[in-house]
Amino acid sequence: MADNKKALYDAVIAYKVPGIQEAVANAQKAGMSAGEIIDAMGDGMTEVGILFERGKLFLPHVLSAAQGMKNAMVTLGPELLASGDASTKRASVVMGTVEGDVHDIGKSICSTMLQCAGFDVHDLGRDVLKAAFIKEIKEGCTMCGMSALMTTTMTVQRDVIEILKTEGMRKKVIVMVGGAPVTQAYADKIGADIYGENASETTQKAKAITN
Amino acid sequence: MSKFYTRMGDGKRVMLTKEQIVNDIQAGFADAADMAGVADLTANEIEQLFEIISDKNRIVGVEPGNEVVVSYDIGQLDFTGDNGNSGNGIDVGRRESALLHERALGADTFELAHADYSIKPVKPIIANEMQTMEEIQSEIIIPYFYGAMPNSGLYYAPDGPYGNPADLMREFKIEEAMQAAELTADHLARDIEYVAPKLVSAGADGFNFDTTASAGDADFVGTLKGVEALRKECPNTYILLGMAGESVMGIHGSIEYKGKVVAGTYPHQQVKLAEQAGANVFGPVVNTNTSKSLAWNLARSVAFVKECVKVANIPCHVNMGMGVGGIPMWETAPNDAVTRCNKAMVEIAKVDGV
Repeated sequence: MADNKKALYDAVIAYKVPGIQEAVANAQKAGMSAGEIIDAMGDGMTEVGILFERGKLFLPHVLSAAQGMKNAMVTLGPELLASGDASTKRASVVMGTVEGDVHDIGKSICSTMLQCAGFDVHDLGRDVLKAAFIKEIKEGCTMCGMSALMTTTMTVQRDVIEILKTEGMRKKVIVMVGGAPVTQAYADKIGADIYGENASETTQKAKAITN
Repeated sequence: MSKFYTRMGDGKRVMLTKEQIVNDIQAGFADAADMAGVADLTANEIEQLFEIISDKNRIVGVEPGNEVVVSYDIGQLDFTGDNGNSGNGIDVGRRESALLHERALGADTFELAHADYSIKPVKPIIANEMQTMEEIQSEIIIPYFYGAMPNSGLYYAPDGPYGNPADLMREFKIEEAMQAAELTADHLARDIEYVAPKLVSAGADGFNFDTTASAGDADFVGTLKGVEALRKECPNTYILLGMAGESVMGIHGSIEYKGKVVAGTYPHQQVKLAEQAGANVFGPVVNTNTSKSLAWNLARSVAFVKECVKVANIPCHVNMGMGVGGIPMWETAPNDAVTRCNKAMVEIAKVDGV
């Protein structure tokens, strides 16, 4: 059992989809339950996140590991359903770079990391209208992540929070802000719930707040 | 216990004790050593850094004889841009701005730039840029370059012909994302090869590639290939290659330059690639963490840059400004912090220029 757990953990860190599939098949043959297999892979994904944060692994590698996990979930799906262990998404998150701002990369990395961490991510892209964030929240997103890379656009994050207050929805949604000019002090000032210095930190805080 | 006036990375004023400052200096060094394997600073250097940070004067400077070259990026945009674009909102022409930098601000070099400050949009207006370069060169004395960001983000959808890796990766189309990045690198190199020699032929003393690798590792590889082509075509031109961040983001993850994976490289590794490509000057960048103190950020920046200078065979002009080089992330960077960070870079990291 311990060998199979380690093999799953190692396969996820090695981020090769066929290797992950093979480790899952071996674990199943050895009698590991679907829940145990997923836990072992989850530990591997946590390490992948740490290696990403330290610049030892990169986004395609994280995605490849996540793809392996996703495939495993399909394989394990029937057993999970039968056992009642089928996991649900942590939360639905609307993500976007605020209107007037076309910087995309940091926000996209953050979206991907959240997706890998089990969030249902609705990434609206860049130059996203305030109304588009509000619409997604009205349609069920309980978290809202806004990125701004310019001092002239970071004020839109505050505007969206104010709209949420005006429309009586502020307490129903967790607001995350980030981007180069955004700081913890600014996040506190505009009343955001989470400030993320980078994608990994944002994901960790999002996981912590939804646990 | 005495407290010293200093800053946080977001520019907030704080008063810290010597013990707090020294602890932050050591923690900043340790972070750089941990991330990039760079050498720790000596006890003397830690004390020197503390002396610089805790200096009672609002403005500090280097000792006579330690002055270094000051080269500028972003061209006239530091006047004409709005304050979200590192500018001051002053509408002056490119000629006037160049002469003001030379004759009023003491710039040792300056550059002509397009309003978008990216390589790609220069292509359709290359003739205008060449003409302006020639006109200003007839008046200016200091080395006058052309400057632009490689900015390979402009080659991805929706701005360019290739799929956006961020979108493709979210759909788990990893191979396609990597291929798009490779195509972009080649396209960027071709555009540099088209644009840069023309500006040199119009009289530019050199070319400044600013904010290199802002769109990740393929951006860096495309720029290095472009630098290589420019060096081949213009053997005597002056090439500055400045970075966007301390570590190259792995949007592709495996793309190589001359057999070396560039993702995750730090300044002391980046400079070797710049040398191989044919750059004359390298501009290392270290990002500021807004939640940490000036002492932590400056110590970390100095550790990275010192190692870069140590291994470099070409001059290093460190990027110093809003949110880089230990300077707080603040629209108008506070002068007490700006001057302290510059002094430390010159006297401890031993940079050749700023």
